[in-house]
Amino acid sequence: MTLSFAFSRRFLLTGAVALTAVGTALPIFAQDVQKGGTLVMASLQKPRHLNAAVQSGLATAVPAAQIFATLLRYGADFEPQPYLAESWEFSDDNTVLTLKLHSGATFHDGQPITATDVIWSLDVAKQNHPFSSMLEPVEAFGAPDPQTVVIRMKQPHPAILLVLSSALTPVLPKHVFDDGQDIKSNPKNNLPIGSGPFKVTAFEPGQHIILERYDGFFLEGKPYLDRIIIRQYQDANSGVLALESGEAQIFPLLDSTRLIRRLEKSGTMTVTDQGYAGIGPVNWLAFNTKNSALSDLRVRQAMAYAIDRNFVTKALHSGLSKPAIEPVVQDSIFFAPDVESYDFDLDKAKALLAEAGYGEGGNTLQLRIDYIPDIEEQQRAVAEYIKAALAKAGVEVTVRASPDFPTWAQRISSYDFDMTMDQVFNWGDPVIGVNRTYLCSNIREGIIWSNTQQYCNETVDRLLNQAGVEPDLAKRKDLYAQAFRQITADIPIHFINQVPYHTVYSQAVQNPPVSIWGAMGPMDEVWLKQ
Amino acid sequence: MTAVTKTSVPAARGPMVEAWGIFRRSPSAMLGLALLAVVILMTFAGPFLYGVDPFEIVWAPLTPPGQEAAIPLGTDNLGRDILAGLIEGGSATLAVGFAAALITMLIGVMVGAYAGFYGGVVDDVLMRFTEFFQVLPPLLFAMVVVTLFQPTLVNVALAIGIVSWPQTARLTRSEFRRIRTLEYVSAMRAIGAGDSNIIWRVILPNALPPLIVSATLTIGMAILFEAGLSFLGLSDPNVMSWGLMIGSGREYLLDAWWVVTLPGAMIFLTVLGVSLVGDGLNDAFNPRLRER
Repeated sequence: MTLSFAFSRRFLLTGAVALTAVGTALPIFAQDVQKGGTLVMASLQKPRHLNAAVQSGLATAVPAAQIFATLLRYGADFEPQPYLAESWEFSDDNTVLTLKLHSGATFHDGQPITATDVIWSLDVAKQNHPFSSMLEPVEAFGAPDPQTVVIRMKQPHPAILLVLSSALTPVLPKHVFDDGQDIKSNPKNNLPIGSGPFKVTAFEPGQHIILERYDGFFLEGKPYLDRIIIRQYQDANSGVLALESGEAQIFPLLDSTRLIRRLEKSGTMTVTDQGYAGIGPVNWLAFNTKNSALSDLRVRQAMAYAIDRNFVTKALHSGLSKPAIEPVVQDSIFFAPDVESYDFDLDKAKALLAEAGYGEGGNTLQLRIDYIPDIEEQQRAVAEYIKAALAKAGVEVTVRASPDFPTWAQRISSYDFDMTMDQVFNWGDPVIGVNRTYLCSNIREGIIWSNTQQYCNETVDRLLNQAGVEPDLAKRKDLYAQAFRQITADIPIHFINQVPYHTVYSQAVQNPPVSIWGAMGPMDEVWLKQ
Repeated sequence: MTAVTKTSVPAARGPMVEAWGIFRRSPSAMLGLALLAVVILMTFAGPFLYGVDPFEIVWAPLTPPGQEAAIPLGTDNLGRDILAGLIEGGSATLAVGFAAALITMLIGVMVGAYAGFYGGVVDDVLMRFTEFFQVLPPLLFAMVVVTLFQPTLVNVALAIGIVSWPQTARLTRSEFRRIRTLEYVSAMRAIGAGDSNIIWRVILPNALPPLIVSATLTIGMAILFEAGLSFLGLSDPNVMSWGLMIGSGREYLLDAWWVVTLPGAMIFLTVLGVSLVGDGLNDAFNPRLRER
């Protein structure tokens, strides 16, 4: 029965996509799936609500990917797979995308999922989602019949397929949410009626989110689990203790390398760094390029040469984090290896500072460094290391602690900083997660994770904008490579390391979420071995 | 009767000399004093003898004590010398302790003195004000103060002072209420002494012994407080203190005991020293224990 299902799905698909989809799906059927059971997921995230159409971030995305279906989904590579859309095709000029919906799909209240719901949901995301660039090129959505969705764009927008996947554009029931209330503050966002493999039955902030199997899910036989409980813990330590005691079976987004090493050593759990290619989390040092000293390119380069990335990744992060040298992570398809990486060279740092008039014979350079509070290993420890490392180059660094995240965000977004540690996610495609940091047009005071460095280079803008509308993947990669070379040469940001997110799970968990979206993807294929 | 007193107590001994005599005979008090002396000596002479910058990364992170001869007490999570941190951190920690105790005494004695001396409406107003501060959970309130402003050493000392003064105020008030009815106070009033003269020059010196004891204990409490705030991440990241060492090392407690244990032990010894001295002073100033 399982085989016939796999084949029937294959024939419905179009083109090469079909082969990849089945290719990644096959291992699932290689062993007998045991249905049922409750998966308890340990989480440190505190979602405000569960409607990912109007709220970005991991906290909402993880439960939302279970509650809502999206048009497409992704496996472990960056190839789109069918989900609510069974097939899709672009027009010859790449500006019109037509998608055919899975038939018989229903919302958790039993109402059919139609193209009208889909285009309404996409429009909600276009109007409200914080990542305004992801649907910005869309001119119009159309629903010629209940099973067909048409997306018409002003120009080619190759990122659109990724945008239609998990965590970014959930399909909402129009008949429930289109009630005249502001969707961002709609109380239904707490226990939304969804379209995905699990329906939410309880959401107690600070306690747990309970997701129950939706029997009417449109992918036959799925999900395998009866229930997912996302249980919130106060800190990583208690989450790991819960795993070790068997209270929880899976813990995604764990970034404490000390705990990861401990779990690796104990050998009772499986530890993987797969599942984070889509998020693409980068830990970096951002410069305020309007600061009088830091506006000098030589000073910024000197800072970079004085910081030893190897010390951070090997010593501070137990060898578990990978160095970051450019805007995107190494797992991104747009990663370009040939950029200036500013490998540790203290003499060069001192020489550059002397050239700029600091150090011996000149003034002592004094700078302040901020960091995101409550992220110990990735932010505070690195900031403290930078203080010590720059002291060796003759730079006096004062560490400024922020009592909470809003204080930090307020300081940075109002440009009240010299340099700051920061963590920014790629979100799968540079159009979503990279452009915002570098485009001149995105220097927007008061908005965190915009271009708070106030960096502006028209060449970079041109390259990023061209790459955003280039349908040919090879050409697109080349344009991004050029942009990344220019950005690293101008160094508004010194890239330090990739956040070493890991997923830890017990031996019972099969088909753990290791797609590019990890736990932010649907977990309909996860099952528990009894 | 006066003659008897004169023969039994030589007139030359002042109250402080007498107190020292009692203090000196208490082994625990002298142990406390010795502990304090060692700590103070270490923090003041240490930098001259062991001139390592506590913020400098000197060796591999989390090197255990004794492994490298040059770093006798090992390194913390960033590879900074723990011994250098203990030496340098002592002065900051002690400074916070003393400064907080000073603030506590200043506010507490001021409020308590006026409330106790005048009584009536002044007492009511000042004591309701004191109670307002007393009902706030001290740690939580200190956290709020430090969070609202910057976690700098000065603010931490201020925060601790602000949350600790009500007890001193209560103590001062009760002492003042007792003493203001005594004959010598009435005598001063009779010869025309002004209120502030009586408060500060007559009553306060006589109320001092229990206040000194309380101040000593406040120093110990303030040091613990600073450590507590640091443990919660609310300490000045630019000034090495024992609290900061504990705060940044607590994540590594399971892998590297020395990062937290060593500064913790220093805090323990210092607070123990301060408390023993405080107890010794209490005994020394207690008239019932004299001449035993």
